[in-house]
Amino acid sequence: MRLSRVLALGAAMMVAMSACSSGGGSKPEVKIGSDGFYESKLVAEMFAQVLEADGYPVARNLGIGARQVRQPALEQGQIDISPEYVGSGLGYYDKAAPTGDGPTNRQLLAQVLADKKIQVFAITPGEDTNAAVVRQDTATELKLAKMSDLAAVQDQLKWGLTPDCEANPLCKDALESYGITFPPKQRETLAACDAPMAEALNSKGIDFAWLCSTQPAIAQFGFVALEDDLNTQPAENMTALVRDDLLAKVGDKNEFQKRLDGVLATLTTEALTKMGVEVAVDQKDVADVAKAFLTAQGLLK
Amino acid sequence: MNETIAWLTNPATWQGQTGVPWRLVEHLAIVGVSVLAATLVALPVGLWIGHTGRGANLAINLANIGRAVPSYAVIVIILPFSLAFSRDLGLNVIPTFLAMVLLAIPPILVNAYAGVRGVDRDLVEAARGMGLRERQILSGVEVPLAAPVIVGGFRTAVLNVIATATIGAVLGFGGLGRFILDGRAMGLLGTGQLIGGAILVSVLAVGIDLLLAVVQRRLARRADPELTDARGLRELSEVPLPQGLP
Repeated sequence: MRLSRVLALGAAMMVAMSACSSGGGSKPEVKIGSDGFYESKLVAEMFAQVLEADGYPVARNLGIGARQVRQPALEQGQIDISPEYVGSGLGYYDKAAPTGDGPTNRQLLAQVLADKKIQVFAITPGEDTNAAVVRQDTATELKLAKMSDLAAVQDQLKWGLTPDCEANPLCKDALESYGITFPPKQRETLAACDAPMAEALNSKGIDFAWLCSTQPAIAQFGFVALEDDLNTQPAENMTALVRDDLLAKVGDKNEFQKRLDGVLATLTTEALTKMGVEVAVDQKDVADVAKAFLTAQGLLK
Repeated sequence: MNETIAWLTNPATWQGQTGVPWRLVEHLAIVGVSVLAATLVALPVGLWIGHTGRGANLAINLANIGRAVPSYAVIVIILPFSLAFSRDLGLNVIPTFLAMVLLAIPPILVNAYAGVRGVDRDLVEAARGMGLRERQILSGVEVPLAAPVIVGGFRTAVLNVIATATIGAVLGFGGLGRFILDGRAMGLLGTGQLIGGAILVSVLAVGIDLLLAVVQRRLARRADPELTDARGLRELSEVPLPQGLP
Protein backbone atom coordinates (compact mmCIF):
# COMPACT_ATOMS: atom_id res chain seq x y z
CA MET A 1 0.00 0.00 0.00
CA ARG A 2 2.55 2.52 1.14
CA LEU A 3 4.89 1.46 -1.62
CA SER A 4 2.31 2.05 -4.31
CA ARG A 5 1.45 5.42 -2.76
CA VAL A 6 5.11 6.39 -2.78
CA LEU A 7 5.37 5.28 -6.37
CA ALA A 8 2.26 7.23 -7.31
CA LEU A 9 3.59 10.31 -5.55
CA GLY A 10 6.94 9.90 -7.27
CA ALA A 11 5.27 9.54 -10.64
CA ALA A 12 3.13 12.60 -10.01
CA MET A 13 6.19 14.62 -9.01
CA MET A 14 8.02 13.51 -12.09
CA VAL A 15 5.13 14.55 -14.29
CA ALA A 16 4.86 17.88 -12.48
CA MET A 17 8.59 18.54 -12.75
CA SER A 18 8.71 17.64 -16.42
CA ALA A 19 5.75 19.92 -17.01
CA CYS A 20 7.57 22.75 -15.24
CA SER A 21 10.77 22.35 -17.25
CA SER A 22 8.99 21.93 -20.56
CA GLY A 23 7.00 25.08 -19.73
CA GLY A 24 10.33 26.95 -19.64
CA GLY A 25 11.61 25.02 -22.64
CA SER A 26 15.19 24.88 -23.80
CA LYS A 27 16.42 28.38 -24.40
CA PRO A 28 17.04 29.31 -28.05
CA GLU A 29 20.55 30.04 -29.17
CA VAL A 30 21.18 33.77 -29.41
CA LYS A 31 23.61 35.07 -32.05
CA ILE A 32 25.07 38.40 -30.97
CA GLY A 33 27.06 40.57 -33.35
CA SER A 34 28.68 43.98 -33.17
CA ASP A 35 30.65 46.56 -35.12
CA GLY A 36 34.42 46.44 -35.23
CA PHE A 37 35.31 49.06 -32.65
CA TYR A 38 35.68 48.48 -28.93
CA GLU A 39 32.57 50.31 -27.73
CA SER A 40 30.22 48.27 -29.88
CA LYS A 41 32.00 45.08 -28.86
CA LEU A 42 31.79 46.09 -25.20
CA VAL A 43 28.03 46.64 -25.20
CA ALA A 44 27.46 43.46 -27.24
CA GLU A 45 29.60 41.55 -24.74
CA MET A 46 27.42 42.92 -21.93
CA PHE A 47 24.29 41.62 -23.67
CA ALA A 48 26.01 38.27 -24.13
CA GLN A 49 27.07 37.93 -20.50
CA VAL A 50 23.67 38.92 -19.14
CA LEU A 51 21.88 36.42 -21.40
CA GLU A 52 24.36 33.67 -20.60
CA ALA A 53 23.72 34.28 -16.91
CA ASP A 54 20.04 33.66 -17.71
CA GLY A 55 20.86 30.34 -19.34
CA TYR A 56 20.77 31.27 -23.03
CA PRO A 57 23.42 29.69 -25.22
CA VAL A 58 25.14 32.64 -26.88
CA ALA A 59 27.08 32.55 -30.14
CA ARG A 60 29.30 35.64 -30.31
CA ASN A 61 30.16 37.19 -33.64
CA LEU A 62 31.67 40.44 -32.42
CA GLY A 63 33.55 42.81 -34.66
CA ILE A 64 31.84 41.85 -37.91
CA GLY A 65 32.76 45.14 -39.53
CA ALA A 66 31.27 48.54 -40.15
CA ARG A 67 27.54 49.13 -40.26
CA GLN A 68 27.54 48.45 -44.01
CA VAL A 69 28.51 44.87 -43.22
CA ARG A 70 26.90 44.35 -39.82
CA GLN A 71 23.43 45.65 -40.61
CA PRO A 72 22.88 43.37 -43.63
CA ALA A 73 24.02 40.48 -41.43
CA LEU A 74 21.31 41.42 -38.93
CA GLU A 75 18.68 41.89 -41.63
CA GLN A 76 19.45 38.48 -43.09
CA GLY A 77 19.42 36.72 -39.76
CA GLN A 78 23.09 35.83 -39.53
CA ILE A 79 23.00 37.59 -36.17
CA ASP A 80 19.97 38.16 -33.94
CA ILE A 81 21.08 41.05 -31.72
CA SER A 82 23.38 44.01 -32.23
CA PRO A 83 24.06 47.25 -30.39
CA GLU A 84 23.24 50.36 -32.41
CA TYR A 85 23.56 54.14 -32.23
CA VAL A 86 20.11 55.61 -32.93
CA GLY A 87 21.41 58.56 -34.97
CA SER A 88 23.81 56.79 -37.33
CA GLY A 89 21.62 53.71 -37.41
CA LEU A 90 18.76 55.84 -38.71
CA GLY A 91 21.07 57.72 -41.06
CA TYR A 92 22.11 54.42 -42.62
CA TYR A 93 18.56 54.03 -43.97
CA ASP A 94 17.69 57.69 -44.50
CA LYS A 95 20.49 60.22 -44.62
CA ALA A 96 18.31 63.22 -43.91
CA ALA A 97 16.33 61.75 -41.04
CA PRO A 98 18.51 61.88 -37.89
CA THR A 99 17.73 64.67 -35.44
CA GLY A 100 19.45 65.99 -32.35
CA ASP A 101 16.88 64.27 -30.10
CA GLY A 102 17.43 60.74 -28.86
CA PRO A 103 13.84 59.53 -28.38
CA THR A 104 12.85 60.96 -31.77
CA ASN A 105 15.68 59.11 -33.49
CA ARG A 106 14.72 55.92 -31.73
CA GLN A 107 11.09 56.27 -32.80
CA LEU A 108 12.02 56.89 -36.44
CA LEU A 109 14.46 53.99 -36.45
CA ALA A 110 11.84 51.69 -34.95
CA GLN A 111 9.44 52.64 -37.75
CA VAL A 112 12.01 51.85 -40.44
CA LEU A 113 13.04 48.57 -38.87
CA ALA A 114 9.49 47.37 -38.21
CA ASP A 115 9.26 46.46 -41.90
CA LYS A 116 12.47 44.47 -41.60
CA LYS A 117 11.14 42.59 -38.58
CA ILE A 118 13.64 44.06 -36.16
CA GLN A 119 12.75 45.56 -32.78
CA VAL A 120 14.45 48.59 -31.27
CA PHE A 121 14.78 48.40 -27.47
CA ALA A 122 15.25 51.32 -25.02
CA ILE A 123 17.93 53.98 -25.41
CA THR A 124 20.85 54.61 -23.12
CA PRO A 125 21.13 57.87 -21.20
CA GLY A 126 24.65 58.31 -22.57
CA GLU A 127 25.63 59.15 -26.14
CA ASP A 128 28.68 58.59 -28.28
CA THR A 129 28.36 61.25 -30.91
CA ASN A 130 30.87 63.10 -33.05
CA ALA A 131 32.85 65.62 -31.04
CA ALA A 132 34.77 68.60 -32.40
CA VAL A 133 37.88 68.56 -30.25
CA VAL A 134 40.82 70.92 -29.71
CA ARG A 135 43.75 70.88 -27.31
CA GLN A 136 43.45 72.72 -23.99
CA ASP A 137 46.11 75.23 -25.04
CA THR A 138 44.30 76.04 -28.28
CA ALA A 139 41.01 76.49 -26.42
CA THR A 140 42.58 78.84 -23.89
CA GLU A 141 44.61 80.84 -26.43
CA LEU A 142 41.84 81.32 -29.00
CA LYS A 143 38.99 81.38 -26.47
CA LEU A 144 37.11 78.41 -27.87
CA ALA A 145 34.24 76.90 -25.93
CA LYS A 146 31.63 76.15 -28.58
CA MET A 147 31.79 75.37 -32.28
CA SER A 148 30.46 78.80 -33.21
CA ASP A 149 33.72 80.24 -31.89
CA LEU A 150 35.68 78.47 -34.63
CA ALA A 151 34.68 80.68 -37.57
CA ALA A 152 36.65 83.67 -36.33
CA VAL A 153 39.92 81.74 -36.09
CA GLN A 154 39.45 79.15 -38.85
CA ASP A 155 42.52 80.18 -40.87
CA GLN A 156 44.79 79.82 -37.87
CA LEU A 157 43.92 76.18 -37.37
CA LYS A 158 45.14 73.05 -39.08
CA TRP A 159 41.98 70.99 -39.61
CA GLY A 160 41.90 67.21 -39.19
CA LEU A 161 38.96 66.14 -41.35
CA THR A 162 37.66 62.75 -42.40
CA PRO A 163 38.23 61.31 -45.88
CA ASP A 164 34.49 61.32 -46.59
CA CYS A 165 33.98 64.87 -45.28
CA GLU A 166 32.88 66.35 -48.62
CA ALA A 167 30.22 63.70 -49.03
CA ASN A 168 29.17 63.65 -45.37
CA PRO A 169 26.58 66.23 -44.26
CA LEU A 170 27.66 65.78 -40.64
CA CYS A 171 31.11 67.05 -41.58
CA LYS A 172 30.96 69.51 -44.47
CA ASP A 173 27.43 70.86 -44.06
CA ALA A 174 27.79 71.05 -40.30
CA LEU A 175 31.04 73.02 -40.52
CA GLU A 176 29.59 75.33 -43.15
CA SER A 177 26.63 76.07 -40.92
CA TYR A 178 29.16 77.26 -38.34
CA GLY A 179 30.64 79.66 -40.89
CA ILE A 180 33.65 77.60 -41.94
CA THR A 181 34.48 78.02 -45.63
CA PHE A 182 35.04 74.68 -47.23
CA PRO A 183 37.69 73.38 -47.84
CA PRO A 184 39.73 74.98 -45.06
CA LYS A 185 43.11 76.48 -45.83
CA GLN A 186 45.11 73.88 -43.97
CA ARG A 187 43.72 70.39 -43.90
CA GLU A 188 44.89 66.89 -43.07
CA THR A 189 42.88 63.79 -43.92
CA LEU A 190 42.52 61.30 -41.09
CA ALA A 191 39.88 58.80 -39.94
CA ALA A 192 37.53 60.09 -37.23
CA CYS A 193 37.71 58.71 -33.68
CA ASP A 194 40.91 56.91 -34.54
CA ALA A 195 44.30 56.78 -32.80
CA PRO A 196 46.20 58.69 -35.53
CA MET A 197 43.69 61.56 -35.26
CA ALA A 198 44.08 61.78 -31.48
CA GLU A 199 47.85 61.41 -31.69
CA ALA A 200 48.15 64.07 -34.36
CA LEU A 201 46.07 66.47 -32.25
CA ASN A 202 48.13 65.79 -29.16
CA SER A 203 51.46 66.24 -30.97
CA LYS A 204 50.24 69.45 -32.63
CA GLY A 205 50.19 68.00 -36.15
CA ILE A 206 46.59 69.25 -36.32
CA ASP A 207 44.64 71.74 -34.21
CA PHE A 208 41.07 70.55 -34.81
CA ALA A 209 40.07 66.91 -34.66
CA TRP A 210 36.86 64.93 -35.15
CA LEU A 211 36.78 62.48 -32.26
CA CYS A 212 33.98 60.61 -30.50
CA SER A 213 32.48 62.00 -27.30
CA THR A 214 33.33 58.91 -25.25
CA GLN A 215 36.78 58.53 -26.73
CA PRO A 216 39.37 57.78 -24.03
CA ALA A 217 41.93 60.07 -25.65
CA ILE A 218 39.86 63.10 -24.64
CA ALA A 219 40.26 62.27 -20.96
CA GLN A 220 43.77 60.93 -21.44
CA PHE A 221 45.24 64.02 -23.12
CA GLY A 222 43.04 66.66 -21.54
CA PHE A 223 41.40 67.72 -24.79
CA VAL A 224 38.42 70.10 -24.90
CA ALA A 225 35.28 68.96 -26.70
CA LEU A 226 33.59 72.03 -28.17
CA GLU A 227 29.87 72.37 -27.59
CA ASP A 228 27.73 71.67 -30.66
CA ASP A 229 25.52 74.72 -30.07
CA LEU A 230 23.67 74.43 -33.38
CA ASN A 231 22.96 70.74 -32.78
CA THR A 232 24.42 69.69 -36.10
CA GLN A 233 25.44 66.27 -34.85
CA PRO A 234 22.75 63.65 -34.37
CA ALA A 235 21.77 62.25 -31.00
CA GLU A 236 23.66 58.99 -30.71
CA ASN A 237 22.19 57.16 -27.77
CA MET A 238 22.81 53.45 -27.90
CA THR A 239 20.17 50.75 -28.09
CA ALA A 240 19.78 47.06 -28.90
CA LEU A 241 18.40 45.84 -32.22
CA VAL A 242 16.70 42.48 -31.82
CA ARG A 243 15.16 40.31 -34.53
CA ASP A 244 11.46 39.42 -34.22
CA ASP A 245 12.10 35.77 -34.97
CA LEU A 246 14.41 35.50 -31.98
CA LEU A 247 11.80 37.12 -29.74
CA ALA A 248 9.26 34.62 -31.02
CA LYS A 249 11.44 31.77 -29.78
CA VAL A 250 12.04 33.35 -26.39
CA GLY A 251 9.72 32.24 -23.57
CA ASP A 252 8.87 35.55 -21.92
CA LYS A 253 9.45 38.47 -24.30
CA ASN A 254 8.88 41.13 -21.64
CA GLU A 255 11.44 39.59 -19.29
CA PHE A 256 13.92 39.35 -22.14
CA GLN A 257 13.43 43.00 -23.06
CA LYS A 258 13.62 44.12 -19.44
CA ARG A 259 16.93 42.32 -19.11
CA LEU A 260 18.57 44.07 -22.01
CA ASP A 261 16.91 47.41 -21.24
CA GLY A 262 18.31 47.05 -17.73
CA VAL A 263 21.82 46.94 -19.16
CA LEU A 264 21.14 49.89 -21.49
CA ALA A 265 19.82 52.04 -18.64
CA THR A 266 23.16 51.91 -16.83
CA LEU A 267 25.21 53.26 -19.76
CA THR A 268 25.79 56.96 -19.15
CA THR A 269 28.35 58.96 -21.15
CA GLU A 270 30.64 58.93 -18.12
CA ALA A 271 30.37 55.15 -17.72
CA LEU A 272 31.11 54.60 -21.42
CA THR A 273 34.11 56.93 -21.35
CA LYS A 274 35.47 55.31 -18.20
CA MET A 275 35.18 51.84 -19.68
CA GLY A 276 36.74 53.16 -22.87
CA VAL A 277 39.80 54.23 -20.92
CA GLU A 278 40.01 50.77 -19.36
CA VAL A 279 39.89 49.04 -22.72
CA ALA A 280 41.85 51.39 -24.92
CA VAL A 281 44.38 52.91 -22.52
CA ASP A 282 44.77 50.31 -19.76
CA GLN A 283 44.55 47.56 -22.39
CA LYS A 284 42.12 45.48 -20.36
CA ASP A 285 40.14 42.72 -22.04
CA VAL A 286 36.66 43.74 -23.23
CA ALA A 287 35.07 40.70 -21.58
CA ASP A 288 36.70 41.50 -18.24
CA VAL A 289 35.67 45.15 -18.31
CA ALA A 290 32.10 44.19 -19.19
CA LYS A 291 31.96 41.62 -16.41
CA ALA A 292 33.32 44.04 -13.80
CA PHE A 293 30.84 46.75 -14.77
CA LEU A 294 27.83 44.41 -14.83
CA THR A 295 28.78 42.90 -11.48
CA ALA A 296 29.18 46.35 -9.94
CA GLN A 297 25.72 47.28 -11.25
CA GLY A 298 24.27 44.07 -9.83
CA LEU A 299 23.13 42.87 -13.24
CA LEU A 300 25.00 39.56 -13.20
CA LYS A 301 23.46 37.12 -10.81
CA MET B 1 32.38 46.04 -61.09
CA ASN B 2 30.01 48.59 -62.59
CA GLU B 3 30.92 51.17 -60.00
CA THR B 4 34.61 50.60 -60.65
CA ILE B 5 34.22 51.18 -64.39
CA ALA B 6 32.07 54.23 -63.67
CA TRP B 7 34.77 55.66 -61.42
CA LEU B 8 37.58 54.92 -63.85
CA THR B 9 35.75 56.47 -66.79
CA ASN B 10 34.63 59.55 -64.88
CA PRO B 11 36.72 62.53 -66.07
CA ALA B 12 36.66 64.05 -62.56
CA THR B 13 38.71 61.09 -61.34
CA TRP B 14 41.61 62.21 -63.50
CA GLN B 15 41.63 65.92 -62.70
CA GLY B 16 43.12 68.15 -60.09
CA GLN B 17 45.00 67.53 -56.89
CA THR B 18 42.79 64.67 -55.88
CA GLY B 19 42.90 63.06 -59.31
CA VAL B 20 44.81 59.99 -60.41
CA PRO B 21 47.74 61.73 -62.17
CA TRP B 22 48.67 63.81 -59.11
CA ARG B 23 48.25 60.87 -56.75
CA LEU B 24 50.44 58.81 -59.08
CA VAL B 25 53.13 61.49 -58.90
CA GLU B 26 52.92 61.49 -55.08
CA HIS B 27 53.11 57.71 -55.00
CA LEU B 28 56.10 57.51 -57.34
CA ALA B 29 57.78 60.27 -55.38
CA ILE B 30 57.62 58.42 -52.09
CA VAL B 31 58.67 55.16 -53.77
CA GLY B 32 61.61 56.87 -55.48
CA VAL B 33 62.86 58.76 -52.46
CA SER B 34 62.55 55.88 -50.02
CA VAL B 35 64.11 53.26 -52.33
CA LEU B 36 66.94 55.71 -53.06
CA ALA B 37 67.56 56.26 -49.37
CA ALA B 38 67.42 52.52 -48.71
CA THR B 39 69.87 51.88 -51.54
CA LEU B 40 72.30 54.46 -50.17
CA VAL B 41 72.26 52.63 -46.84
CA ALA B 42 71.93 48.99 -47.86
CA LEU B 43 73.92 48.71 -51.08
CA PRO B 44 77.37 49.69 -49.78
CA VAL B 45 76.89 47.52 -46.70
CA GLY B 46 75.75 44.54 -48.79
CA LEU B 47 78.56 44.89 -51.31
CA TRP B 48 81.19 45.21 -48.61
CA ILE B 49 80.13 42.23 -46.54
CA GLY B 50 79.78 40.23 -49.75
CA HIS B 51 83.31 41.12 -50.76
CA THR B 52 84.96 40.60 -47.39
CA GLY B 53 82.64 37.93 -46.04
CA ARG B 54 82.78 39.59 -42.61
CA GLY B 55 79.71 40.54 -40.59
CA ALA B 56 77.47 38.57 -42.90
CA ASN B 57 75.57 36.80 -40.17
CA LEU B 58 74.78 39.96 -38.25
CA ALA B 59 73.81 42.03 -41.25
CA ILE B 60 71.61 39.42 -42.82
CA ASN B 61 69.85 38.56 -39.58
CA LEU B 62 69.14 42.23 -38.98
CA ALA B 63 67.81 42.55 -42.48
CA ASN B 64 65.54 39.57 -42.05
CA ILE B 65 64.19 40.98 -38.80
CA GLY B 66 63.39 44.10 -40.80
CA ARG B 67 61.33 41.97 -43.16
CA ALA B 68 59.16 40.77 -40.29
CA VAL B 69 58.27 44.21 -38.92
CA PRO B 70 54.84 45.28 -40.16
CA SER B 71 54.90 48.66 -41.82
CA TYR B 72 51.60 49.72 -40.30
CA ALA B 73 53.04 49.29 -36.82
CA VAL B 74 56.10 51.27 -37.82
CA ILE B 75 54.17 54.31 -38.99
CA VAL B 76 52.01 54.40 -35.86
CA ILE B 77 55.02 54.04 -33.53
CA ILE B 78 57.04 56.68 -35.35
CA LEU B 79 54.18 59.20 -35.39
CA PRO B 80 54.70 60.96 -32.04
CA PHE B 81 58.43 61.30 -32.68
CA SER B 82 58.09 62.53 -36.23
CA LEU B 83 55.50 65.09 -35.14
CA ALA B 84 57.84 66.34 -32.44
CA PHE B 85 60.52 66.64 -35.10
CA SER B 86 58.46 68.47 -37.71
CA ARG B 87 54.91 69.75 -37.31
CA ASP B 88 54.39 70.02 -41.07
CA LEU B 89 56.03 66.89 -42.48
CA GLY B 90 55.87 64.79 -39.37
CA LEU B 91 52.30 63.63 -39.85
CA ASN B 92 52.10 62.08 -43.25
CA VAL B 93 55.44 62.27 -45.04
CA ILE B 94 58.07 61.23 -42.50
CA PRO B 95 56.42 58.12 -41.01
CA THR B 96 55.55 56.77 -44.47
CA PHE B 97 59.05 57.54 -45.75
CA LEU B 98 60.80 55.83 -42.84
CA ALA B 99 58.55 52.78 -42.95
CA MET B 100 59.21 52.37 -46.68
CA VAL B 101 62.98 52.74 -46.20
CA LEU B 102 62.88 50.00 -43.56
CA LEU B 103 60.86 47.83 -45.94
CA ALA B 104 63.27 48.34 -48.85
CA ILE B 105 66.54 47.73 -47.01
CA PRO B 106 66.38 43.91 -46.51
CA PRO B 107 66.01 42.82 -50.16
CA ILE B 108 68.64 45.29 -51.39
CA LEU B 109 71.16 44.34 -48.72
CA VAL B 110 70.68 40.59 -48.92
CA ASN B 111 70.80 40.49 -52.71
CA ALA B 112 73.90 42.69 -52.86
CA TYR B 113 75.62 40.33 -50.44
CA ALA B 114 74.44 37.19 -52.25
CA GLY B 115 75.29 38.56 -55.69
CA VAL B 116 78.86 39.45 -54.80
CA ARG B 117 79.33 36.24 -52.84
CA GLY B 118 78.12 34.24 -55.84
CA VAL B 119 80.78 35.52 -58.19
CA ASP B 120 83.22 32.75 -59.16
CA ARG B 121 86.04 32.84 -56.59
CA ASP B 122 88.59 31.88 -59.23
CA LEU B 123 87.90 35.10 -61.08
CA VAL B 124 88.40 37.10 -57.90
CA GLU B 125 91.64 35.30 -57.09
CA ALA B 126 92.85 35.83 -60.64
CA ALA B 127 92.13 39.52 -60.36
CA ARG B 128 93.96 39.67 -57.03
CA GLY B 129 96.85 37.86 -58.59
CA MET B 130 96.97 40.43 -61.38
CA GLY B 131 97.54 43.08 -58.75
CA LEU B 132 94.15 44.74 -58.66
CA ARG B 133 93.33 46.42 -55.36
CA GLU B 134 90.29 45.31 -53.33
CA ARG B 135 88.14 48.25 -54.39
CA GLN B 136 89.03 47.67 -58.03
CA ILE B 137 88.13 44.01 -57.72
CA LEU B 138 84.78 44.96 -56.24
CA SER B 139 83.96 47.57 -58.84
CA GLY B 140 85.57 45.99 -61.88
CA VAL B 141 84.91 42.28 -61.39
CA GLU B 142 82.39 41.52 -58.72
CA VAL B 143 79.76 44.21 -59.22
CA PRO B 144 79.38 43.81 -62.99
CA LEU B 145 79.03 40.05 -62.59
CA ALA B 146 76.68 40.41 -59.63
CA ALA B 147 74.64 43.16 -61.25
CA PRO B 148 71.64 41.03 -62.26
CA VAL B 149 71.24 39.69 -58.72
CA ILE B 150 71.68 43.16 -57.22
CA VAL B 151 69.04 44.56 -59.55
CA GLY B 152 66.84 41.62 -58.53
CA GLY B 153 66.98 42.85 -54.96
CA PHE B 154 66.25 46.36 -56.08
CA ARG B 155 63.27 45.03 -58.04
CA THR B 156 61.86 43.25 -55.00
CA ALA B 157 62.30 46.38 -52.91
CA VAL B 158 60.52 48.58 -55.45
CA LEU B 159 57.64 46.12 -55.77
CA ASN B 160 57.19 45.91 -51.99
CA VAL B 161 57.31 49.66 -51.56
CA ILE B 162 54.84 50.38 -54.38
CA ALA B 163 52.36 48.00 -52.82
CA THR B 164 52.90 49.05 -49.20
CA ALA B 165 53.15 52.82 -49.64
CA THR B 166 49.36 52.70 -49.79
CA ILE B 167 49.21 52.53 -45.98
CA GLY B 168 50.65 56.04 -45.74
CA ALA B 169 47.12 57.19 -46.46
CA VAL B 170 46.17 56.19 -42.91
CA LEU B 171 48.18 59.15 -41.67
CA GLY B 172 46.95 61.48 -44.37
CA PHE B 173 49.61 60.87 -47.02
CA GLY B 174 48.43 61.05 -50.62
CA GLY B 175 49.45 58.59 -53.28
CA LEU B 176 47.30 55.82 -54.71
CA GLY B 177 46.51 54.54 -51.24
CA ARG B 178 44.26 57.58 -50.84
CA PHE B 179 41.70 56.05 -53.23
CA ILE B 180 41.68 52.79 -51.36
CA LEU B 181 41.31 54.36 -47.94
CA ASP B 182 38.84 57.08 -48.91
CA GLY B 183 36.80 54.59 -50.91
CA ARG B 184 36.55 52.40 -47.86
CA ALA B 185 35.59 55.35 -45.64
CA MET B 186 32.75 56.24 -47.98
CA GLY B 187 31.17 52.84 -47.50
CA LEU B 188 28.84 51.65 -50.25
CA LEU B 189 29.32 54.84 -52.27
CA GLY B 190 33.06 54.36 -52.38
CA THR B 191 33.25 50.82 -53.77
CA GLY B 192 34.19 51.99 -57.26
CA GLN B 193 36.97 54.17 -55.88
CA LEU B 194 38.22 51.43 -53.58
CA ILE B 195 38.53 48.78 -56.27
CA GLY B 196 39.71 51.29 -58.87
CA GLY B 197 42.52 52.39 -56.57
CA ALA B 198 43.54 48.81 -55.93
CA ILE B 199 43.61 48.12 -59.66
CA LEU B 200 45.76 51.20 -60.28
CA VAL B 201 48.30 50.13 -57.63
CA SER B 202 48.47 46.64 -59.11
CA VAL B 203 48.93 47.92 -62.64
CA LEU B 204 51.69 50.27 -61.49
CA ALA B 205 53.48 47.52 -59.57
CA VAL B 206 53.32 45.02 -62.42
CA GLY B 207 54.33 47.62 -65.00
CA ILE B 208 57.40 48.78 -63.13
CA ASP B 209 58.34 45.21 -62.29
CA LEU B 210 58.31 44.29 -65.99
CA LEU B 211 60.48 47.30 -66.80
CA LEU B 212 63.01 46.30 -64.18
CA ALA B 213 62.92 42.71 -65.45
CA VAL B 214 64.09 44.01 -68.82
CA VAL B 215 66.92 45.91 -67.14
CA GLN B 216 67.88 42.81 -65.19
CA ARG B 217 67.98 40.72 -68.33
CA ARG B 218 70.19 43.23 -70.12
CA LEU B 219 72.63 43.22 -67.24
CA ALA B 220 72.64 39.44 -67.17
CA ARG B 221 73.57 39.35 -70.83
CA ARG B 222 76.39 41.77 -70.27
CA ALA B 223 77.69 39.65 -67.41
CA ASP B 224 77.58 36.50 -69.51
CA PRO B 225 77.15 37.07 -73.25
CA GLU B 226 76.36 33.41 -73.79
CA LEU B 227 73.31 33.73 -71.62
CA THR B 228 70.32 33.59 -73.91
CA ASP B 229 67.64 31.82 -71.97
CA ALA B 230 65.56 32.58 -68.90
CA ARG B 231 66.84 29.55 -67.04
CA GLY B 232 70.32 30.94 -66.89
CA LEU B 233 68.97 34.21 -65.61
CA ARG B 234 67.10 32.41 -62.89
CA GLU B 235 70.21 30.54 -61.85
CA LEU B 236 71.98 33.84 -61.42
CA SER B 237 69.14 35.21 -59.33
CA GLU B 238 68.90 32.27 -56.98
CA VAL B 239 72.34 32.32 -55.44
CA PRO B 240 72.17 30.17 -52.32
CA LEU B 241 72.94 31.86 -49.00
CA PRO B 242 75.68 30.36 -46.80
CA GLN B 243 74.58 27.51 -44.54
CA GLY B 244 73.29 28.22 -41.10
CA LEU B 245 71.50 31.45 -41.92
CA PRO B 246 67.71 31.65 -41.64
